[in-house]
Amino acid sequence: MYWLSGGFVFRRVVSPFHRLDPRVKLLVSVEFFVLSLLVPTVPEIALVLVAILLVAGVAKSLRRIGRTMAFSSLFAVFIFVLNYLLVPGVLNAILYSFRFLAIISSTSLFFITTSPDELEQIMKWMRVPRDVVFAFVTAVRFIPVVMLDAFQIMDAQKSRGLEFERGNLVRRVRNMVPILIPLVVNSVIRSGELAEAMESRAYGSTPKPTSLYRMRTRWYDRAVALASLLLLFVVALYIYHYVSFGV
Amino acid sequence: MSATTSRLSEKKVLASVEGLSFRYPDSQKPAVNDVSLEIGEGEVVLLAGPSGCGKSTLLRCLNGLIPHMYPGDYRGSVTVSGLRVADTPMSTLSQSVGLLFQNPENQIFMFSVERDVAFGLQNLSVPTEEMRSRVDEAMRLLGVSDLAQRAPHELSDGQKQRAALAGVMAMRPKVIILDEPTSLLDPKTALDVVSLIERLNRELGITFIVVEHRLELLIPIADRLVVMDGGSKVMDGPPREVLADPRVEGYGVSVPPVSRLYNALSKDGVRLTRVPETPEEMAEELNAL
Amino acid sequence: MEFRGVTFVHRTGVTALSDVSLTVKAGETVAIVGENGAGKTTLVRHANGLLKPTKGSVLVDGVDTRETTTAALSRKVGIAFQNPDHQLFSDSVENEVSFALRNFGFPDELVAKRLDWALNFFGLEQYRKSSPLVLSGGEKKRLTLACILAWDPEVVVLDEPTVGQDSLQKEKLAQVFRMLQSTGKTIVIVSHDVEFLWPIQPRLLVMSGGRVVADGEISKIMEDRELLEGARVTQPQLLRLYSALRSRPASPFLDVPDARAWVAGGRAGRGVG
Repeated sequence: MYWLSGGFVFRRVVSPFHRLDPRVKLLVSVEFFVLSLLVPTVPEIALVLVAILLVAGVAKSLRRIGRTMAFSSLFAVFIFVLNYLLVPGVLNAILYSFRFLAIISSTSLFFITTSPDELEQIMKWMRVPRDVVFAFVTAVRFIPVVMLDAFQIMDAQKSRGLEFERGNLVRRVRNMVPILIPLVVNSVIRSGELAEAMESRAYGSTPKPTSLYRMRTRWYDRAVALASLLLLFVVALYIYHYVSFGV
Repeated sequence: MSATTSRLSEKKVLASVEGLSFRYPDSQKPAVNDVSLEIGEGEVVLLAGPSGCGKSTLLRCLNGLIPHMYPGDYRGSVTVSGLRVADTPMSTLSQSVGLLFQNPENQIFMFSVERDVAFGLQNLSVPTEEMRSRVDEAMRLLGVSDLAQRAPHELSDGQKQRAALAGVMAMRPKVIILDEPTSLLDPKTALDVVSLIERLNRELGITFIVVEHRLELLIPIADRLVVMDGGSKVMDGPPREVLADPRVEGYGVSVPPVSRLYNALSKDGVRLTRVPETPEEMAEELNAL
Repeated sequence: MEFRGVTFVHRTGVTALSDVSLTVKAGETVAIVGENGAGKTTLVRHANGLLKPTKGSVLVDGVDTRETTTAALSRKVGIAFQNPDHQLFSDSVENEVSFALRNFGFPDELVAKRLDWALNFFGLEQYRKSSPLVLSGGEKKRLTLACILAWDPEVVVLDEPTVGQDSLQKEKLAQVFRMLQSTGKTIVIVSHDVEFLWPIQPRLLVMSGGRVVADGEISKIMEDRELLEGARVTQPQLLRLYSALRSRPASPFLDVPDARAWVAGGRAGRGVG
């Protein structure tokens, strides 16, 4: 739970990276993602990880990315073991587990530094249908609300003698029912109220709603985008060279 | 009733409900039964009644959710600002009638206040510059301009209430309906909401229809009190008159102690010079005895 | 119940309670008022161990809440939370009411007896086999109360029981209240509704900013306008009336019949009517 909230929830921070146009942030994250899949050797993937941490530093989110990596290391170890068993070779296994860490961290970097408003703008720019965008933004907006609901429900049921910590696996799963049902019921009720409020504010009147904000790229957005693309291009060339000539 | 009619003839009629009956599809009884009502421009109307009396249904008939979102057995007519509600799409209606629901949490969709205030305007394809100025205006009127960038879960209940109301105000409706706006608030925040309503009514001439259990909060600013019971309108008039009518206590309405005392004293034959609305007014009357 | 120097700090760093100390004796009726965020709900959640104090201690019947579980404490301290939709989940009303009874290990015959009593007392017998989710708002509230009172806790805590209720529902609630008082239960009620509290004349705790700023007789505390202003609490109408009268009886009116009788008495004294 903390991994999720630490790794993927946006928090308002002022940093040079945050100030970039959201599309550039997306570009950088995608570049890291692609890079982590392409690089062929362990020292290079380690370099990618370091690069991610550096950018996280610029984004003043070093601690959070670090924590994401730390929490993901459990899975990374699992991947290591799996790979080692399937394809013998420690280096290979390390490569894959590091790749996993890099993928997770680059994704995390994007979500930590991009607000839901910016996510919405990107989706609109990508011509995602209006209803999907709305569903996504609303879901994100209500995450803290639903979490609060869950805690209040747990409190209410604990006060009726429900004990979570005790019991075997079957018992514990059964103990989830008094939590999950009210949670689902509340969500359904909430959806109904939201639907009424949406209708009352003319939702659905037009397939192409206008926007309060406009995304505008400034010189540093273009500069960062260009620089990172160039870098990616150079690295891709190097990899191609390496792969072709085994150097 | 003549008192009401003569008052209304001074004001232009903004909304009129004629012989309205509505039955939900899975229900045997109509939720609203042959209700007729006229609402004058600039009035503040307080709507009261026990649970299940049809208040919520009536509100939804006034803003168009019934019949557009909730079809059913619909008879009679509702007209607001010259528009027949049943024949006009929600996109047009929402620019004349705003409805603020009970729980502000479930009316704020977006991640920041100003983005949410802009929600309705976006749906109406309002161009960006005009949208900007209307959003700023609405936030200023509701006193939430400095909360523009905040996320809803960072706001207090009173702030959420005002943010949601700003979202409705941005549509520039002529009449705003509030469904139990104070039920989740503490008494002092509730008083703030009431003075907000009074100010908007006085400065901008917006008509308000408020459903409320805590009558004593709204009575000082209400022009009219309408009581519903079992789907029908049973009482309608200036608050002083309605509360002075002993029948009001039989309808499951939470009549404030001062008004109950007035009715009890009237039964005892005590003559007061006027119907007191506040304890202080009652004290003045009793001191004069 | 005893609170000794209780301070509670949230994980976020916000201090919700500051050095609160108070004792509630068996059979007392205590009302807690104050604005939203003053710490009322936080305080009440310490009573059955849902929250444990950061500093200080809470004792229920002499037992420190940190040394036992919420489930065990709830047997003695029943909290009825504000939102019924946060509790109801069973496929039938009878299962809903017996949920807590079974959790506490009541034997089957006792479960059946308590169930019958609860359904009868709250007028829910006709819904015995129905799903709790189809009940109306008022019925759901009654049901949650029934669920709590079914296991007969010594202390009953009510969190905002009158929110959104019309006068008939409030009357029923007042009846329940009187029943609880007559059976000697300790009652703690958190409420904004001063009109509902006034006739009950409970011991009053006023909270503001995480502290208890007043503790004592409701009629005395409610006369202190400055205190109430600071804590954002309103005065009941009958008290306001009493304060504004030139000639008045020794103690304030508790309800409308009281005030009516006084006026009648005054007129009789003057030979009017």
